[in-house]
Amino acid sequence: MVEVTCTVNSKKVHKKIAPNLTLCDFLHDEMGTTGVKKGCDTGECGACTVLLDGKPITSCLVLAPQADGHEITTIEGLGTETTLHPVQESFIELDAAQCGYCIPGMIMTASAIVKMKPNLTEAEIKRYLSGNLCRCTGYQQQVQAVMLACKKMSSQKNLR
Amino acid sequence: MKSFQYLAPIAPFDYVRPNSLNELFDALSQYGSKAKLLAGGTDLTIALKERMISPEVIIDLNHVRRELTGIEASKNSLKIGAMTTYTELETNATVMRCARALSEAASQVGTYQIRNLGTIGANLANGSPAADTAPPLIVLNARVHLRNKHGEREMPVEDFITGVKKTAIRPDEIITSIEIPISDGISSYWMRSAKRNENVISVVSVAVASEIRSDRFGDSRIALGAVAPTPILAKESSSKLTGSPISPETIERVSKLAAKESKPISDVRAGADYRRHLVYVLTKRTISKTVSLARAN
Repeated sequence: MVEVTCTVNSKKVHKKIAPNLTLCDFLHDEMGTTGVKKGCDTGECGACTVLLDGKPITSCLVLAPQADGHEITTIEGLGTETTLHPVQESFIELDAAQCGYCIPGMIMTASAIVKMKPNLTEAEIKRYLSGNLCRCTGYQQQVQAVMLACKKMSSQKNLR
Repeated sequence: MKSFQYLAPIAPFDYVRPNSLNELFDALSQYGSKAKLLAGGTDLTIALKERMISPEVIIDLNHVRRELTGIEASKNSLKIGAMTTYTELETNATVMRCARALSEAASQVGTYQIRNLGTIGANLANGSPAADTAPPLIVLNARVHLRNKHGEREMPVEDFITGVKKTAIRPDEIITSIEIPISDGISSYWMRSAKRNENVISVVSVAVASEIRSDRFGDSRIALGAVAPTPILAKESSSKLTGSPISPETIERVSKLAAKESKPISDVRAGADYRRHLVYVLTKRTISKTVSLARAN
């Protein structure tokens, strides 16, 4: 067993865990943040995407002890039930989800890229989201939703 | 609620987390060949899940990351810490300017999520014939810096990868950095062919670095990925390109020679003949690109 101290959705966490646990299983099973979805379990599909120190990563490829000393954000930590993140709002407004299984991961990637560069082009959005597979949609609404989120983020900035 | 497992759970191992390079070298001398090193985890975790490897010990490098990360440019060289991620390489302006081929390769590895985790040192240490950073590093004359408890040594990247999944690293060593000499007149580029644009293993990759003069190719190097047991320096075509006039005929002749120098196999990704043809096509395009990049400057 190994001790891990990290921050999950702004809460300090200190746990003793088996080192052969992936970060994906740790978050889903031990922390109860079930918005972290396991899809392929091999880093191909992006359903398990979370932010590690603000950067999107596939949590199935990371061993949980690697999170020691780092900050993890899952979909549960992105917005609140009353105030959604602009990306979440945009996904709802444009009906960007069908079955929904890929959506938490996709929103996590999207939230990081719109923060990094609020004037993303459509081509850039497609490139950054290519690690988040969706088997229901044709990605059209999701790309549009991220463009809408970019607009929302820049107008929020202008208001301040 | 337990999440489902497609693959068998990862077999148990002893986990060691050194907090300094000294602790790391002690751990390496103690466990040596029984241990595997963990950097970003993008390849190791899959190998563990698929039970391709079952090490007794895993040494986690993440608490010594600071000592092994960063891109330092001096007058004559670019020193890249072994734990520098693909995203850091892709977004670094100096790498873009002085080592364009590497910048291109880093930007096309895996997905955004994988590029945020995977590291350049581990890409080499894995010893894959298709390692995307290897051909750019080979044409840029990069050297791998290795260190153990007792000292340091270095070698060219083309000597470091010795066979499929085999490298010259000793069980008590780590890669500390990769050093690329900077030379002003060098133009470099990298291209690959794969089934999709994103998240794929390269079917063929080609890197070219050349000192583009007004009418001639100066010192030139061509390297090929995924067409031999290791990434290779295409020696004959490199020396043919060096000193030849810049013309479509030169590029045609050299690219045909590069295809002859490749020794591809047929596998699930492509047949050997198709790979050889891709070497020809990609070499042509990559040489042309190094010329147009140099002329644009």
